[in-house]
Amino acid sequence: TAPPPEKKRWLRAYLELQRLQAPPQRRSEKPNWDYHAEIQAFSHRVQENFSLELLKTAFVNPCYIESEEARRRQLGLDKDAVALQLQDNSGLAERGLRFARAYLAQCFEGAYPELPAKGVEALVNFLTSQELVSYVAQNLSIQDLTLCRDFPAPPDVLQRTFLAVIGALLESSGPERTGIFVRDFFIPQLIGKDLFEIWEVVNPMGLLLEELTKRKISAPEPRITRQLGVSTVLPVYFVGLYCDKKILAEGPGETLLAAEEEAARVALRKLYGYTENRRPWDYSKPKQGLAAEKAISSN
Amino acid sequence: RYVRQLQRLQLLFSPTAADARGARQFVEEAAQDFARQHPDVVLYVSPRSGPGPAPVLRAEYLNGTVREELIASKTSEEILQLATKLANQSGLDIIRIRKPFHTDNPSIQGQWHPLTNKPSILTIQGPRLQPQ
Repeated sequence: TAPPPEKKRWLRAYLELQRLQAPPQRRSEKPNWDYHAEIQAFSHRVQENFSLELLKTAFVNPCYIESEEARRRQLGLDKDAVALQLQDNSGLAERGLRFARAYLAQCFEGAYPELPAKGVEALVNFLTSQELVSYVAQNLSIQDLTLCRDFPAPPDVLQRTFLAVIGALLESSGPERTGIFVRDFFIPQLIGKDLFEIWEVVNPMGLLLEELTKRKISAPEPRITRQLGVSTVLPVYFVGLYCDKKILAEGPGETLLAAEEEAARVALRKLYGYTENRRPWDYSKPKQGLAAEKAISSN
Repeated sequence: RYVRQLQRLQLLFSPTAADARGARQFVEEAAQDFARQHPDVVLYVSPRSGPGPAPVLRAEYLNGTVREELIASKTSEEILQLATKLANQSGLDIIRIRKPFHTDNPSIQGQWHPLTNKPSILTIQGPRLQPQ
C-alpha cells in the first residue's frame, strides 16, 4: 500500500503560522512530562537530598489551590471532593526566608566586621529581593515545577517557591547543608557589584564623619589634588581627604562637590573593606557547626 | 556548585522506520545506563508509530533553549556520544565567540588615566639643590 499522503504544500504555511501564534503553554501541559521524575532530577541537579513530600508541598502555591477549588466547584463536585488534600508552601517559605536572612547576615558580619548594621541589612535585602530570587529560580527550572494559577509565573510566586524549597531543605537536611546551599546560590550574585550600588547612602560625608569619630581619627580635610579642564564644559577634579596630613582617600568628580562626595564614598569603601581588590569570598568547606546553630537559635 | 544545564532529553523515533534502527538499539541497550549515570537529566522515550518525521533527539536546557539533533542512520554508540555531548553543554547559543579570552580584572594596579603619573597640585617643587 502506498504511504499516506503528506500535508498539502499550500496547507503547510498556514499550519506553521498557527503553531507560531499559539499562546505559550506551561511545560507541564506539553507532551512528555513526568512530575515525579522531574522533581527527582531537580534534587539531583542541585546535589541535595530532599524528602520528596516536603519538596512537593514546597512547589504548591496558595493561588493554585484556590484556582483548583474554584474549578472543581464550577464542575459541580461535592463539598468533600472540592477540598484538596494539598498543603501550602507559605509556612515553608516563611521559615526559608528567616533562615536565609539570618544566615546571610551572619556571613556578612563575619566577612566584613566593619560594615554597620544598615549596610548588612541592605545587602541581605538585595539578595532576598524579588528580582534576584526569581532570576535564580528561573535558571534552576523552578518555573516549570511550580503549581500556580498564572503562566508565566510572576516573580513573587517564584520567590516564594524558592524560599519554600530552602525551607524544605532546612527540614530535610538540617541547617548546615542549607547554609552551604544558600551560600552557593546567593553569594555569587554579588560578584561585580559595588557596595554603594546596593546600599543607597544619601550623605556619605556624614557617615564618614561618624565612622571616623568612632575610630577617634580627626575630621578629614578635603583638598584638590588634581584638576583638568577647569574652564571647559567637562572639568575633572580629584579631591583628596586628608586626616592629620595623611591621605585617606581620593575621588574624582565633575564638580568640586561631586568629587568630594566620591572621595567620601571611596574612603567608606576602604574602611568597610569592600574595595574592588579585596579577597574573593571563601567557598571552602566550613567548620562552623556553632555558627549554623546560632542561626537556628536566633530564629 | 556545579549544576548540569541539561534539563531533559526527549528521544522521538518510530518503531518501524529503517533509519531509526540506531535509536531503537540505543533504547534497548544503552539508554538505561545513560539515565543511571546522569540522574539529573530526565530521559523521555516516546515512540511515534506510523511513517513520520525523522528520528530526533531533543535537548531542553535550563535557560530555555531547545536543541534538536537528527539521529537518523546513526549507530547506538554515536547516539550515546551525542547524548553525552549534549549533557555536558550549556544552553547558550552556538555562535562565533568574538574573542577567546575574557578577564574580570582587566587592570591590577589601576587603569591608566591622564593624571596617573603626574604630581598633584599639593606637592611643592622647591629650588633644585646643588650637589654637595
